[in-house]
Amino acid sequence: MQFDENVRLALSGLTDHKFRSFLTMLGIIFGVASVIAMLSIGEGAKREAIAKYQDLGVNNIIVREKTLSENELEEVRAKFSQGLSLQDAAVIKDIVPGVERVASQAEINTDVKYTDKSIKSTIIGVSPEFLNMMNYKAQKGEFINENHYNQKLKVCVLGAGVANHLFQYEDPIGKMVKVEDQWLEVIGVLESKTLFTETVGELAARDLNTDVYTPLSTFLNRFTRENLLSSQIQQITVQVDNSNRLLEASKLINEIVKRHHFNNDDYSIVIPFELLKQEEKERQIYNFLLGAIAAISLIVGGIGIMNIMLATVMERTREIGIRRAIGARKADIMSQFVTEAIVISITGGIIGVLLGVTLSLTVTLFTDISTYIKAYSILIAFAFSVIVGISFGYLPAKNAANLKPVDSIRYE
Amino acid sequence: MLIEITNMVKNYAIGTMEIPALQNINLRIEKNEYVAIMGPSGSGKSTLMNILGCLDTPSSGHYLFNNVDVSSLDDDSLSTMRNKEIGFIFQNFNLLPRLNALQNVELPLIYSGTPGNERRERALKALERVKLADRIDHKPSELSGGQRQRVAIARALVTNPGILLADEPTGALDSKTGVDIMRLFHELHQEGNTIILITHEQEIANYANRNIYIKDGMIHSDQLNTNKTLIV
Repeated sequence: MQFDENVRLALSGLTDHKFRSFLTMLGIIFGVASVIAMLSIGEGAKREAIAKYQDLGVNNIIVREKTLSENELEEVRAKFSQGLSLQDAAVIKDIVPGVERVASQAEINTDVKYTDKSIKSTIIGVSPEFLNMMNYKAQKGEFINENHYNQKLKVCVLGAGVANHLFQYEDPIGKMVKVEDQWLEVIGVLESKTLFTETVGELAARDLNTDVYTPLSTFLNRFTRENLLSSQIQQITVQVDNSNRLLEASKLINEIVKRHHFNNDDYSIVIPFELLKQEEKERQIYNFLLGAIAAISLIVGGIGIMNIMLATVMERTREIGIRRAIGARKADIMSQFVTEAIVISITGGIIGVLLGVTLSLTVTLFTDISTYIKAYSILIAFAFSVIVGISFGYLPAKNAANLKPVDSIRYE
Repeated sequence: MLIEITNMVKNYAIGTMEIPALQNINLRIEKNEYVAIMGPSGSGKSTLMNILGCLDTPSSGHYLFNNVDVSSLDDDSLSTMRNKEIGFIFQNFNLLPRLNALQNVELPLIYSGTPGNERRERALKALERVKLADRIDHKPSELSGGQRQRVAIARALVTNPGILLADEPTGALDSKTGVDIMRLFHELHQEGNTIILITHEQEIANYANRNIYIKDGMIHSDQLNTNKTLIV
């Protein structure tokens, strides 16, 4: 018997028993929907994490001053550590193999003012390499270049949040903003960055959009340290040429800085890429768990199909007998019932896909959990439901095919 | 020779016991014969019908249909045999309730792989032959008993089978409708079909040309019907 006849037959069977078919499908519907929803939540979390770490640069190693109390600071200074300095940066660049760029940055937290408006901000003195090393893009104007740096020009680049707050509809380029007692000319505005809602390793969560960048040379020249014990710079960002080198390089950097700081533990090293990998690994276990739950619900759905199909075969013994008497082969009966199971599970699969997509869109709409539906997850869920249909339809179909025509045609 | 049965035995196993249903059956039926097989219930006539209709195979002996040894065929070949050579007509019609008359008649052609257009054409022709051309889209539940049996006859005819095998075809019908059906069988026989009737009613058997009596699993008598009911 032809395939299209089987499909037509199965579809008319479905519509003849709408409520029963719907109940049969329910397991598959929920199974497929949960697979899609769970995969989309997993994928959403993954994308969020990648975006977060990309902002820190995947080939970067970050050496950052530890936040110390006044007493602790006095203690490390007494033990001869000067804190992070440009000297540390220079040595790292000279000694560690595979280092492409090193950027130093110094920071103070203070207000930035324009006309009568003012915003709390972090003023960061950076070397010109900085923009290339971090994944930053200028939305308007330009970033700090060698020229600004070498001439110690009084210029600055604003984070998107600062620019919005101070200038709103005005064009900030060329305007002067006031930081402490210094006037800086705005030469660029950065694109808006994702918020750091949680800490990354030992980097505290903060809003990168309230940063204001100025050449490190200008910074060191014009701004006073917060107190006399403060280190010269707060962070050194090291970029290596290959992410395979990250661990080896970070070990070496640790040894260099440790010796320079006379074994004082006043700095920490963060490798965003390693953290990303670690997080990925943790998430994999979590995703596997979610997937397993969804798979179980699909299997339960399949058992539901099998259950109904077995009952249907009993109920239709006579029909099977009639078909056999007028010439249906075992294979014809078999394919009729398997097709029926597949049609049920595919129909359930389609409804499940729609429900799953709606579910994950709803999750994003009403909570701050981000979701992302990949085409392949729809494919997987769908393929799974077909496999469930075939495997759980097989046994009932085989029972149907093996009924003896002589007995089944007289079945009442 | 259309049907040639020699030394055929059929046993049924019930538990460890072998119950003989048919013993040493020898039977020959020519093309275009009109035969009634009679016998009381439990005589073995249903078993004989099942074997004649390729629904079952003998325990021993030979059954040649058009010189093909049916006893040696596998399940698929038996199915093909039923599809091409046997037209079943049952006491309780055995139509599929969800299909309309046309779809029921088309069914055997679906299993023989006949393409859709030709299928429909042949099914329509068969329904016309049984005078039901105006009822093709009626479901069995919307038809009278006699009409249902005529749909079943159309289904049996549609593949142009070697034999029409009718098992108590009037058993579920009132006598007037029964006579109508017997008239149809008479016409079909006139048109060249081979018909085997299974019945326990002498009155029905009298329509056939040859009467075979089965008793206790054996052929008790096999003779020409001298008392034929004539149809005018």
